[in-house]
Amino acid sequence: MEQFFDTYFDFSLMAEYFGQVLEGFWWTIKLSVLGGILALTWGLILAVLRQLPGRAMAPVRFLTIAYIDALRGIPMLLTLLLIYGGLGTLQASGTIPKWIGVPEFFGYPSAFWYGIMALTLTYGAYMAEVYRAGIEAVPRGQMEASRSLGMSHGQAMRFVIVPQAVRKVIPPLLNDFIALMKDTSLISVISMPEVVQVGNDIYSTTCNPSALTLGALLFLIVTIPLARLVDWQIKKQDEKFQRGIP
Amino acid sequence: MSEAILSVSGLKKSYGKLNVLKDINCEIAQGEVVCVIGPSGSGKSTLLRCLNMLELPDGGRIELNGNEVFGHGKPKDLDVLRREVGMVFQSFNLFPHMSARENVTIAQTRVRGRSKQEADARSVEQLEKVGLAEKIDEFPDRLSGGQQQRVALARALAMDPEVMLFDEVTSALDPELVKGVLDVMRGLADGGMTMVVVTHEMNFAREVADRVIFMDQGFIVEQGKPDAVLGNPQEDRTKQFLGLVLSR
Repeated sequence: MEQFFDTYFDFSLMAEYFGQVLEGFWWTIKLSVLGGILALTWGLILAVLRQLPGRAMAPVRFLTIAYIDALRGIPMLLTLLLIYGGLGTLQASGTIPKWIGVPEFFGYPSAFWYGIMALTLTYGAYMAEVYRAGIEAVPRGQMEASRSLGMSHGQAMRFVIVPQAVRKVIPPLLNDFIALMKDTSLISVISMPEVVQVGNDIYSTTCNPSALTLGALLFLIVTIPLARLVDWQIKKQDEKFQRGIP
Repeated sequence: MSEAILSVSGLKKSYGKLNVLKDINCEIAQGEVVCVIGPSGSGKSTLLRCLNMLELPDGGRIELNGNEVFGHGKPKDLDVLRREVGMVFQSFNLFPHMSARENVTIAQTRVRGRSKQEADARSVEQLEKVGLAEKIDEFPDRLSGGQQQRVALARALAMDPEVMLFDEVTSALDPELVKGVLDVMRGLADGGMTMVVVTHEMNFAREVADRVIFMDQGFIVEQGKPDAVLGNPQEDRTKQFLGLVLSR
């Protein structure tokens, strides 16, 4: 048992490398927050494009559905490697400009931005499906009432449908956000020094995985409250809709 | 009667093989109150929903103030049509994330282009008119069905429509709440509003309507003054329907 604790919970090692691990985790947080915000936005755009009415918009709907199917069906790691492997090469050959080929906004490394792209593209597709479920759960009468008041489809979506849909899907979106946060660890494979990469480097030099344990604990500090938040949100909604059933 | 504000000719609508409207011809005059009655499945709600294109007809013509808004299988000037034709639904369809005041204001600012102050003043005025001065800032889930329906009325009226459509607006209400809604509609009719009312409230039709239309199986079977259609129906199907409804 002592062996077990020495292996996974070497507190002196954790203390020694705490600063480094925390620095890695700070990248994880930055990737999660920026990737999360962009995925939430991109997902909503996709969901709205998918719901555009009329025959003229059929190609837009088709392309959106194709995109969502594709990005949900490819492992994010693969998407990430395709971005990483492709953009730099295309930029080197002069096919695409540097700001997209080797992005370094705010002085952050390209790996950070490749990671953000992969998170946004992949989780945008997942979240689009969540939003869609929310939009479809808004009763048909809401659109009818909006249109009968003379609102356009776009106005009805913006002022009536989407605000209601978003409220309904906050719990599943939070779930997706937790998954997104964990998937930032994949970006370690393209040399992004986020918490898993840092922990693994420390493991390589010390032959002790306690720094990884520390990383895991840092994840839990953020994800467990998020999970509680999801439950609390669901409970709040249930109370609203199932009043009076013991 | 003055000139027709809405004029419908040869209107057809089907869902797959089910022909809901077969050949509807009718004119609604300025200031006229028309009640549409008939058994369920007769097409009366579909007719109403075709009048503001919530359902797209398959054929026929609809004119609003002499301008074609539907013809040759296509709608025209949908926005104008919907702006001038207000509608109230059986299920209220209030926006649950907005207070009564916001429900009434939103389309005024976004569609009519009124300023916030102007629209808000109009909302308050309309809500007071339907007897909800106390409830202006309540959200729909804090209102009774009758109150919700009166907010929906205020919401449609605040747009100053030329025609109001009512789709069984009291059918989802508890009996004691029906009167409040019908009273508002009576007031509207007295004020000269052009109204097309799909209803099962025969007493309302008798008292308020200028004309009653009886529909069955996608056709207008019989129409005329309320006393004539309700009191002395000529067609067998009308007699049969009224026999069932009035003998309750």
